[in-house]
Amino acid sequence: MAGLLWPCLPGADAPSRHGTAGRSRGVRAAVLATTLMVLCQASRADPIEEKVQLCNACHGENGIPQDVQTPVIWGQHQGYLYLQLRDYKRGTRKSDPMSTIAETLERDEMMALAEYFAGKPWPRLGQPSASDAVAAQAQRANVAVNCTGCHLGAYQGDGTQPRLAGQRREYLVKSMIEFRTRTRGNNPGMSDLMLSISEEAIAACAEYLAGLQ
Amino acid sequence: MARLGRFAAIGTAFALAVVCTASAQEVKTAAKYGDMSTVTQDLLNRAGGDGNNFLHTNGDYNQLRFYPNRQINVSNVARLRPAWIFQTEVKESLETTPIIVNGVMYVTTSYNHVYALDARTGEELWHYKQKLGPITTYCCGPNNRGVAVHGDMVYMGTLDAKLVALEAKTGKLVWQADIADPELGYSETMAPTAVNGKILIGTNGGEYGIRGFVKAFDAKSGKLLWTFYTIPENSVGVWAEKDATGRHMLRDIAAEKAQLAQTGDPYKTLGGGVWQNPAVDLALNRIFFMVGNPSPDLDGSLRPGDNLYTNSLVSVNLDTGQYVCHFQYIAHDVWDLDAVSPPILVDVRNSQGQVVPGVLHAGKTGHVYVHNRNDCSLIRFSEAMVPQENMWVLPTKEGARMLPGANGGVEWSPMAVNPGLGLTYAINLHQPMTYHVESSPYPQGKLWLGGAFKVIPAEEQWGNITAVDYNTGKIRWQVKTPQPMIGGVLATAGGLVFTGEGNGLFKAYDAETGATLWKFQAGAGVNAPPSSYTVDGKQYIVVGAGGNVQLDYKRGNSIIAFTVD
Repeated sequence: MAGLLWPCLPGADAPSRHGTAGRSRGVRAAVLATTLMVLCQASRADPIEEKVQLCNACHGENGIPQDVQTPVIWGQHQGYLYLQLRDYKRGTRKSDPMSTIAETLERDEMMALAEYFAGKPWPRLGQPSASDAVAAQAQRANVAVNCTGCHLGAYQGDGTQPRLAGQRREYLVKSMIEFRTRTRGNNPGMSDLMLSISEEAIAACAEYLAGLQ
Repeated sequence: MARLGRFAAIGTAFALAVVCTASAQEVKTAAKYGDMSTVTQDLLNRAGGDGNNFLHTNGDYNQLRFYPNRQINVSNVARLRPAWIFQTEVKESLETTPIIVNGVMYVTTSYNHVYALDARTGEELWHYKQKLGPITTYCCGPNNRGVAVHGDMVYMGTLDAKLVALEAKTGKLVWQADIADPELGYSETMAPTAVNGKILIGTNGGEYGIRGFVKAFDAKSGKLLWTFYTIPENSVGVWAEKDATGRHMLRDIAAEKAQLAQTGDPYKTLGGGVWQNPAVDLALNRIFFMVGNPSPDLDGSLRPGDNLYTNSLVSVNLDTGQYVCHFQYIAHDVWDLDAVSPPILVDVRNSQGQVVPGVLHAGKTGHVYVHNRNDCSLIRFSEAMVPQENMWVLPTKEGARMLPGANGGVEWSPMAVNPGLGLTYAINLHQPMTYHVESSPYPQGKLWLGGAFKVIPAEEQWGNITAVDYNTGKIRWQVKTPQPMIGGVLATAGGLVFTGEGNGLFKAYDAETGATLWKFQAGAGVNAPPSSYTVDGKQYIVVGAGGNVQLDYKRGNSIIAFTVD
């Protein structure tokens, strides 16, 4: 399994333990092909643990992702995780490994994986709290576009709304920018909101949210 | 806030699910104290004159929110004090109207908990916690506005778009029905309405491209009886150029017609949620309700036409759900200034001075609208209760400033009426915003705003309580508050008006003058509609203090009952 372990669950579109910069398209294609082959060989009746192992490779055996641009999924909400898998399969959210993996999953498998990871404790990444100035800038952004209207008071999320508190800062920046550029196309409402605030405000929000728990 | 035709098959698949056990739910019971009487239809019909109970979310079928007991009144309200405080398990925004049946109170919280309390003491009788499914889709907080009562059952809509019926004595689940598919953006926050063996409920989802509806379910079995889609298959309308007040809305109708020719009627994803209670005219056998905004909120380019019946007052037959009449306030809305605050049935003077059956509605526009009940036509609209500027400038990419902001005016907050004074009491927001437009295709149940409404941080926000003479449209009195107002109002025969604020203050005003007669600091935002009841000969005022997600007011978890000794 070791060679299969980098394709991962939501958001892991930079899934290499060595970073993405040096990986050739050929290598990526080969790994994808191998992954797909093994996944396809696996029976639908395979225990969920096998797929969980696959996820853990990038998202972390202990819930702490290997790569800073890979999201925490331990303790994330089931509805949100399911929707991301669904959207990877539909193609409204795109990432080489995730799209490939999601193509092999049926709805009940997506739900089961989402439930499994939702039941894990959210890991402490030890990211520093934002300075007062940064926190104030983030809070101004919240006043403007009402982030907490969906992500709720302590940015804990619920249901299909993701928890943002304590998420990896780099991943938060990446996600918000991808919404802003519509590179991430599975939530146009978020794209609209991110377009209405500045990139500086996005950076402040990410730093503030990462420092929460 | 709505859903669609190509999902008809899915809708069929979402056939009624009747659940006969309570095994999946959590019910905590405690020693019962009160006499939990059966709620008969006759009791529900006479709720407006019932000086003991509070049986409907908005007081009675007319939705006056006028409590007829005068034991607490202008002369003694200064001595109002807490009788008891009950703290729920959920510290998140409270929008529940306490319902009281013969000394037993039913309240709900965010995330669909229901409590039965002894209305004398606040002692918990039972606690029901809905086991929500993984898919919940809502824009503005995990809110719930309370229960309906009928027979020996209590009814609640859930965030995952189900209708549940609980046994009133124990809180045990009797049946559960799927209302719609939450994965497509449907959810429930409104309290249902119980009438003539039916449970009526609409839907949230105007921010998610739903196709809105009102549905009637059989109160005993949960079987679906009828569905009225708030978006007809021909939603184009008359290409109205002016709003209800005669102001030009700057529509590019030629472009809309070209779009219509290209893409057809957008009814399948046009929104039109109904998320506050209908009023019921028992004599006419009709219901009246408000239909919310079109989807996507700010981008009209994808939805040519008037977008019927969004932003409208609509009336349908109670037995069949057949359309009777409608009145649209804003055709082809691109500002999310939808119609939400529940309609009120009261006799009004028409333009000839004759008394006719009327309907009142408080708009996000900041006007109170007065209608003829027979045909839904507009009789008059009130003076604006909040500043209106730059109406109706169209949203732009960079953002265009217009007042009111997208929260209103009057948001979902129900008004209250003192029919003797001919006054209706509305709570308002002043929250300046810029309106931004961005176009994107229907995202299959995801947030679909078509842009953004953005609060202008540098501009002052505030609110007010406004008393409007609905026979003239004139403002009788107005009290400014330091924060935008959201929650609801209660008027009483004691000459009082009660409402709360985001800063935790709960206040009583003189119904005639607006003088502040009493206030209490609840420690969290009082953003729920108050109600009143009388038990063992003593009148109480009761309200939830749990704050508000939408305006980010301080959260709490208290139900507070007040009385005068």
